[in-house]
Amino acid sequence: MNYEKDDIIEMRATGQMSRRQFHAYMASLGAVAVTFPVFTGAARAAADDHPNVFTWEGWDAVEHHQQYLDKYGELPNFSIFGDEEEAFAKMMAGAQFDVTHPCSYKVEIWRDAGILQPIDTSRLSHWDDVISTLKDIPGMVHEGQRYFVPADWGQTSVLYRPDLVDPSYLEDETWGILWDERYAGRLSMSDSLIDGVMVAAIYSGAANPFDMTDDEVEKTRELLRQQLPLLRYYWTSPTDIENSMAAGELVATSAWNDAFTSLKNEGYDVRYMQPKEGAMTWVCGFCLMSAADPEKLEKSYDVIDAFLSPDSGQFEILEEGYGHANQKAFDLVSEEELAQRGLSKDADALLNSGIFQVPIKNEAVLQAMFEEVKAGL
Amino acid sequence: MISADRTLVDKIRLQFRRSESIRGYTLLSPTLLIVLLGLLFPLIILFTLSFWKQEYVDLIQTFTLKNYGDFFEKKIYYLILYRSIRISAFVMFVTVLLAYPLAYFIAFHVQKNKMIWIILVTIPFWTSYLLRVFSWKVILGYNGVINSSLLSLGLISEPLEFLLYNPFAVVITLAHAWAAVAILPIYVSLEKIDRSLIEASRDLGESAVATFIRVTLPLSLPGVIAACLLVFIPTVGDYVTPALVGGTRGIMIGNIIQSMFGKALNWPLGAALSIISMLTVTAAVCLLLGATQLFKKKVS
Repeated sequence: MNYEKDDIIEMRATGQMSRRQFHAYMASLGAVAVTFPVFTGAARAAADDHPNVFTWEGWDAVEHHQQYLDKYGELPNFSIFGDEEEAFAKMMAGAQFDVTHPCSYKVEIWRDAGILQPIDTSRLSHWDDVISTLKDIPGMVHEGQRYFVPADWGQTSVLYRPDLVDPSYLEDETWGILWDERYAGRLSMSDSLIDGVMVAAIYSGAANPFDMTDDEVEKTRELLRQQLPLLRYYWTSPTDIENSMAAGELVATSAWNDAFTSLKNEGYDVRYMQPKEGAMTWVCGFCLMSAADPEKLEKSYDVIDAFLSPDSGQFEILEEGYGHANQKAFDLVSEEELAQRGLSKDADALLNSGIFQVPIKNEAVLQAMFEEVKAGL
Repeated sequence: MISADRTLVDKIRLQFRRSESIRGYTLLSPTLLIVLLGLLFPLIILFTLSFWKQEYVDLIQTFTLKNYGDFFEKKIYYLILYRSIRISAFVMFVTVLLAYPLAYFIAFHVQKNKMIWIILVTIPFWTSYLLRVFSWKVILGYNGVINSSLLSLGLISEPLEFLLYNPFAVVITLAHAWAAVAILPIYVSLEKIDRSLIEASRDLGESAVATFIRVTLPLSLPGVIAACLLVFIPTVGDYVTPALVGGTRGIMIGNIIQSMFGKALNWPLGAALSIISMLTVTAAVCLLLGATQLFKKKVS
């Protein structure tokens, strides 16, 4: 049976095709629709010998992988995660990847879970150009073996609309804007521990936000409770806050550099705070997974190396607004372009100016607390 | 040797022909196998998991009732479960209420090309679920279709903010997403009704409204119940819609369970919550079925 759609409708209407024939045809269509992905999936997997890379949305941009593309003529396979917790849950449930791109504060728990393998940096041609401060982040080398290659760095701070907030905030930048009742319903905060709950912890004045005492946890809970009715939503995707900030639906939100840079690039009048309590700073990079296919190891190193190339770094700085790990990438952009993005050639200065994200000690307690606050308790 | 084999084959064949249950199970076997592998097996894993305990990245495989204890001890879980059931019940009510007139129209008033109407009803299902949720975000959003048209008409001076990011948006989105699932079974049960019964009712002097309440509605009840169940059961556990349009107040049990398997890294508690919500949904469904039995008795 090889009919066109119109033929079928006509035959059905004129009674040329019996009801039974019609159903048989529909059933065969259904069977094809169900099995099609199975067959093509198998065929594709067999032909494919590139590593599987598990990374953030946007980090699959071809500009980051040009060096790999030049060498092999094809890109690696990408899967996208929304945050590291989601990625971790997937991998613990058995998903296998060769290379992943978490942030440094997650490396310890991933290594403890046994999903990482050591990285041999001598196989990376750009390793010597990596900013040395980034190489020295504590916890990335365990028992003499390196588990993390830094790739990019940035901040978590407040993104706001100077035209819609009290001018005093322009002079006196503070996380407190996210608790200002004048902007009730027009604020947002990240739906995460590291970029959300930690903001409240910093604002509450906790001595070490990443290792709080019970009293400090309660103070943070109280702040989050106060904040809940003021929020439009907790954000999970930077695109959401970008759209809302552009529309004026939000006047201020916690954000990463990329939201600031892309709104700026589109010509919106937004600012990125250096709050007096300190912005948060972070470093993300690459891990080799213990589930990696040994036959793809060479290519997996090439994936990492390509990302570390100066060209990839130039793209990252200009388009995404993050710092890059390769010192040479900064030679490809002007001082002015860096300043516009709130970045500087001096990675040390920027990382030291803020509160560096490290593993959160009582994650389970904080997550339970956060869920309760979100439930209105 | 050959003859012995033959007789054995013949015997099996004979047995097969004689026994209706064997034939029945053979016919069912592909489905049964999928159900067994895809449903029963994971359920057993989930059930076992719910009695374990998580410490950091390790699962401690010793029997404990702690997860179930947590459910009753900490207010959050039963509060959210209650909230989810309330939202789903509301979604079910809205969906069926909106679906019934449409199904009624197709069954009784469309004479030609019914197939086209049915296909039209399923159109929302031709796109992905996620896409449908996002399109509601576009419609209800701050700069969305509703707000910008109201603004340009001069009816409002500021965009309405209550449209999105609350339980109301969750109900609208879910009711639309599950509309076809409600319309089809109601349509089928309406279509099956013997028209002479309706004529008889009218001939015997019942008004149109009374005929609907005493004849059409009870006869279409199987379809309505099917629609209710098909909408209620899956929406209780939905987590995508509340995550995208629910804002800070619209979260449901599915979001908590997802968080347990993700951010909170407590799979056993997530498993226990799943088991409890499954049991609760089963209980709610039984209650619904019981209520309809009562309704049936009352009408007849």
